[in-house]
Amino acid sequence: MNTINHKGVMLGKTLIATTVAAVLLAACAAAPLMPDGAAEARIKLTQLQSDPNLASRAPLAMKEADFAVRAAEQPQADKDLGAYRVYLADRKVEIARAQAETSLAEDQRGALSAQRENARLDARTREADAARDQAATARAERAEQKVAADRARGEADAAHLAAASSEQQATELQREADAAKGQAATARAEGAEQKVAADHARGEADAAHLATASSERQATELQRQIDVLQARPTDRGLVLTLGDVLFESGRADFRAGATSNLKKLVAFLGRYPDRTVAIEGYTDSVGNEGYNQRLSERRADSVKSYLIGQGISSIRLSASGRGESDPVAGNDSAAGRQQNRRVEVIISNPSAALR
Amino acid sequence: MNATSQARQGSRLGIAVGLAGVLMLAAACASTPPAPTASLQAAQRAISTAERAEAGRYASEELSEARTRLASADTAVKEQRMTMAEQFAEESRVEAELASAKTANVKAKAVNDDMKRSNGTLIDELQRNSGDKP
Repeated sequence: MNTINHKGVMLGKTLIATTVAAVLLAACAAAPLMPDGAAEARIKLTQLQSDPNLASRAPLAMKEADFAVRAAEQPQADKDLGAYRVYLADRKVEIARAQAETSLAEDQRGALSAQRENARLDARTREADAARDQAATARAERAEQKVAADRARGEADAAHLAAASSEQQATELQREADAAKGQAATARAEGAEQKVAADHARGEADAAHLATASSERQATELQRQIDVLQARPTDRGLVLTLGDVLFESGRADFRAGATSNLKKLVAFLGRYPDRTVAIEGYTDSVGNEGYNQRLSERRADSVKSYLIGQGISSIRLSASGRGESDPVAGNDSAAGRQQNRRVEVIISNPSAALR
Repeated sequence: MNATSQARQGSRLGIAVGLAGVLMLAAACASTPPAPTASLQAAQRAISTAERAEAGRYASEELSEARTRLASADTAVKEQRMTMAEQFAEESRVEAELASAKTANVKAKAVNDDMKRSNGTLIDELQRNSGDKP
């Protein structure tokens, strides 16, 4: 400006000078070179604008940079002004670049965050997988251990149970056995008692029955036997009178074939072994009484001997001679005397058996 | 007055007119303009902004340059060279803005570098871990 001022002052001298000045001015306006550094600023701006990562960023700063570069590119006679414009252009391109790069960095930050998140996610996934694997392994191990433990426990339990069971069973068995024994004993005792009682009862019943039956039967039988023996019941017992047909007169031994009555007696005594027998000999009044007495004794003894000989125990037998006493008929007739010559076998009434 | 003198007069009138025009131009140029207060304040604000953004740490060259330019602008104002002052002020402001832009850029890149490093470490660790246990 100052130069222009000076030139203006100089132009004021002459019209030619003015014209020259005008020409000079025109020359200055048309031909001044682009300020130094403007080209560099343009190159920097072009680089920035051709960077695909940055071109579209910081649009305001880009616009200002572009504007400033264009201004700087204007040919400028005033070198200071040119330098100033170049300076501004350069700084504004720098600002645009810085802001564009900042914008890019901020955008990249999103991607980095995403990457970090993915990495963390992967890490967590891996950790989770690892943990899951470990957990699965641990679970499997635990399961195995549990199985083993269960098995062991099961075995132990089984053993315990077996032991307990066997003990229990043993105890139980023992108890049952004891109980059974006790019951058995009781039962036995009871059974025994009952049996005893039953037996007793049965015995009694049997006895009663028997007694009844037997007595009936026996009575019948006895009666039959008695009938066979032609014995007659008396207070002393059954009295069987063996007539003198047994003996020859004055003799004590039996007539031949006269033992049929005695055989019936033997059978009777064999059937009723509890009965004792009193054998009494009688004579008629003929003859000497002493003789008759001895004769009656001999006849009684003879019957006794016969019975002993037939297997009747002598303990059951007693024999006595009654001589002429107790005649059953008159001695004044032969028939009477014959009746008086006799042996009476008195079969005792049984004391218990027939009670 | 003769023709020559008339011609001279006309010529002089033209010169006068031309001079007047030139003088007017000169007056317009040479008259002391007001101090570029707005530009100076703008430069000062830009520097303060850059300082708050820690440009002293991340773009110290630019910040220093901005301060120098602002000081030059102040000097120009004192010398009544207001145009120069305004240019210095503008340069200071733009320089301060560049300082702020570079600071922001450095910080942004630092943050990204941190993240990249951290991600790399994380990924390395993961790969090593996963290498330990495929």
